[in-house]
Amino acid sequence: MTAATPTTTQALTTPDRGRRATGRGRSRSYRALEPTGLGVVLRWIWLSIAAILSFFPFYAMVVLSLKPGKVVELPGSLLPWNLSFDSYAQVLGGQNLLGWLGNTLVYSLVSVVAVLFLSALAGYAFAKKRFAGKEVMFWSFLAMVMVPFHVTLIPTFILMANLGGVDTYWGLILPTLANAQAVFLMRQFIEGLPDELFEAARIDGAGEFRIFLRIVLPLCKPILATLGIFVFLWHWNDFLWPLIIGKSNAMFTLTVGISSLQQQNVPLSTMLAGSVVALLPIFLAYLVAQRYVQEGVTGTGIKG
Amino acid sequence: MTTATTGKRPLGAVGRVLARREARVALLFVLPAFLLFLAFRFGPSIAGVALSLFDYDITGEIAWRGLDHFQRLVADPLFWRAMGTTVVYTVFAVPISLVLSTVMALGVRRAFRGSRFFRSIFFLPVITSLVLAGSIFVWIFSANGPWSALMSPLGLGGSWLGSTVLVIPAIIVVGVWSRFGYGMMILIAAMQDVPRELEEAALMDGANAWQRFRSIILPHLRPTFFFLAVIETTAAFQVFDVIYVMTQGGPANASYSLVYLLYDQGFKYFDYGYAAAVGVALFAMTLVVALVQRLVIGKQR
Amino acid sequence: MRVSKFTGVAAGIAAAALLAGCSAGGGQASSGEKHVTLWMYPVVADEATNKSFWDDTIAAFEKEHKDITVDYEIFPWANRDEALQTAIAAGKGPDLVYLVPDQLAAYKKSIAPMNDLLSAERQKDLLPNVKDSVTIDGDLMAAPVLTSAQPLVCNAAVFQQAGVAEYPKTWDDVKRLAPTFAAKGFSMLNYPASAENTLNMTFYPVLWQAGGEVYDKDGGVGFDSEAGEKALTFLTDLATAKALDPEALTTNVPLEQTAIAQGKVACTFNNAVTEVAPFWGKENVKVLPPLKGEKSVAYGTVGSLAVLKGSKAPEAAAAFAEYATGADVVKPFLTAAGYFSALSTTEPLYADDPLLGEVEKYVPDTTVGQLATSSRALMGVLSPEIQAALLGQKSPADALKDAAAAAAPILKK
Repeated sequence: MTAATPTTTQALTTPDRGRRATGRGRSRSYRALEPTGLGVVLRWIWLSIAAILSFFPFYAMVVLSLKPGKVVELPGSLLPWNLSFDSYAQVLGGQNLLGWLGNTLVYSLVSVVAVLFLSALAGYAFAKKRFAGKEVMFWSFLAMVMVPFHVTLIPTFILMANLGGVDTYWGLILPTLANAQAVFLMRQFIEGLPDELFEAARIDGAGEFRIFLRIVLPLCKPILATLGIFVFLWHWNDFLWPLIIGKSNAMFTLTVGISSLQQQNVPLSTMLAGSVVALLPIFLAYLVAQRYVQEGVTGTGIKG
Repeated sequence: MTTATTGKRPLGAVGRVLARREARVALLFVLPAFLLFLAFRFGPSIAGVALSLFDYDITGEIAWRGLDHFQRLVADPLFWRAMGTTVVYTVFAVPISLVLSTVMALGVRRAFRGSRFFRSIFFLPVITSLVLAGSIFVWIFSANGPWSALMSPLGLGGSWLGSTVLVIPAIIVVGVWSRFGYGMMILIAAMQDVPRELEEAALMDGANAWQRFRSIILPHLRPTFFFLAVIETTAAFQVFDVIYVMTQGGPANASYSLVYLLYDQGFKYFDYGYAAAVGVALFAMTLVVALVQRLVIGKQR
Repeated sequence: MRVSKFTGVAAGIAAAALLAGCSAGGGQASSGEKHVTLWMYPVVADEATNKSFWDDTIAAFEKEHKDITVDYEIFPWANRDEALQTAIAAGKGPDLVYLVPDQLAAYKKSIAPMNDLLSAERQKDLLPNVKDSVTIDGDLMAAPVLTSAQPLVCNAAVFQQAGVAEYPKTWDDVKRLAPTFAAKGFSMLNYPASAENTLNMTFYPVLWQAGGEVYDKDGGVGFDSEAGEKALTFLTDLATAKALDPEALTTNVPLEQTAIAQGKVACTFNNAVTEVAPFWGKENVKVLPPLKGEKSVAYGTVGSLAVLKGSKAPEAAAAFAEYATGADVVKPFLTAAGYFSALSTTEPLYADDPLLGEVEKYVPDTTVGQLATSSRALMGVLSPEIQAALLGQKSPADALKDAAAAAAPILKK
């Protein structure tokens, strides 16, 4: 948020909670809350240090992947010259990359749409409706997060196998749609929406589902954007489940495919090249989408 | 602070009909998610938990063992070792991560030139799968890596991953690195909710930054902290990926976590019953801690 | 309450599914067409070569057997056990799968023995030590594809730089030469002690050389013995004398980053000549007989194709396995992968290759040790104790005793 008034998109999509005073009278004390002069410089310094530390592993990954076959030594190996793309040629040559990419996109995008819709539905019901067993149901959803993944792995696979879902898209996607955190976040957000908005529509005679589609969902845009990114990323990076449910190279996702290139004794630069190739798409997607994530996050009211 | 979810509707005859209709609609809305949960969370969890009472192997033979696995668990020094490692990891990684998230959130919550850039940088580790990032971290912590170089002047040079004492701090560093951005984003959102007027008023009353944080921002963050504490603690109890790619539980089992024990027993040694028992123990631990967190941090209602 | 009713129903569904899946792959009436699926791994590192071998082999086989079709899938090494186990548990396993001896022991209950499926002629042709390594309780568990040998391999350049003129033959030689190397900054032996290394390549050969066994004749702990202690003390003494590469004791790094690849280690018995030759230069690679403690023993892995019990076409699968592992058919596979023939009737594969030809001579004398269902679990408890001893945290005797205690519940089953 800048010192100017919020953008129109934010104004439309974020419920007004009376916390944005506009007008000139605000700017004096607003600026007082912001650091000035030396404060600004200090903030830049420590944020930059933190950013360097945070980003360093990625930088190292890229630089070292461009130095195939060499023994790594400090600091020479970290300097960005004498670069060669040999490791990438090794990783990319003759692989079914496009197929894997396609699978990963299907897996991630379909899951996002499904999770957002279903958890918004459920979250709305938990947030705004009364019904028997609500609390127990909600807390049991959350408790399921506490069961370690490997414990449910085999029973889930057996179930999918008996339903004929092995090596299929729907078999890959379906079990991952049960997302407790998504339901939780949706509930938190929707609880913060004032009831009057729905009451008005209800009095007008609108059906419940209509209210959900026309009023609740649009209001939830910020949290949907944020949640969508989280779910997308989780599915993109998922390794063990796609490995197990897919039985053929054609069904591999990107992470599974890249790891299949890691035979024994693969050099460090090749391993890193593989990692970079697998990470690049989401980094790019994130860079593009981060504007929406951040606007979504700043507009999200995660309250109790 | 929340708008009441239970309206103040009169419950006359009409009211009761409406309430029932509301309940029916609500259940309908919850149904799809609930069915998914039943099939893919409750079902497998119950099956997985039930397995702890049996011997089960991949040919499908099942034999009743009752509480045998749990008896073996309690007597197994490796279980207690894994428990210790997991607890130590959690006790340090979660608070450090939350503090870091908070500090970073405070630093970048206002919009200024570059704030979005910084937020993105701090969020990148969150979107990075540790399975893919593991190899670079093994190098970073190796004897010739930059971390050792940094730590040498402090007398802590050499490979941290090779030291039975320093290996847990090493994985804590990686664990925190990979998660603090998530908490940061959530906290930024929660901090946006703090009415600016309150902060301005406090500023005009002469409160400094720390006092403003403690008395105004912090109370608003309570529910968020609860949410984050539960999520981060659950994730920390289940620490596996970072250990799998960096240390494989070593050296000499110094970084062996509970989920690693579960994984080894189930998928390396095919002892699914015993693995399920470890899973049950872990689930119970997590549940207890979550309940404690609810009491201590609590949710505002 | 509605919630609990749902939960009950769900539990019932889940339990039923679990039990249904347990009766893996029931028998089915065989139609005229038989279909075999094979799960393979990147044994040949280059994917294109791997694929073309199997494509060609299958095409040739299908021409001779018109009623059998074969499909194969190449899986990554990573997490292959999870993928295989979950598939078997759900009755979706393959007919044929590539396994190493420890896996044969672990998956024993899911494998269909090949005593009657593999022709008598082929069984006679197998090298005796190879046949032993795929036999459990008298049952031939798989059709061997390849074998390897791990004799002693030394770096001539290092010996030259350290001024050592003789190559070690016995443990005493090693103990004697170690300080000379250490003085010049070299490690005498390569010993990777971190958890992901199988003990077959590290501790067990040393144990066998000391005259010890992993299991005693009743199937109980055999390494907690005098020979075991001698073996471990040999290693810990070397560690204290700085004769073992310290990094390898705790972390596995990519090969080109290791001390042995960089020419800082004198000898190894856990690397293949094909691994070290690119780094040392072929002329510096010296292949020597395995070290002698009480005996001179080396490990040699065996790769094999096993038929799973859930298969609906075991005879067809076995027929393909036998065909694919035949001397002439499998030769390009072996040479591409750098492995050796499992058959006693083949000519030396690497007569022209000085290095591999040397290693090939040791193939008939290698062993995979004793196979037991608990092999891996045992390694899981023994390996960290050995590591602890090597890091100086425990005495060898204590390490072995603790390992034996931890192994008790595993062996009881």
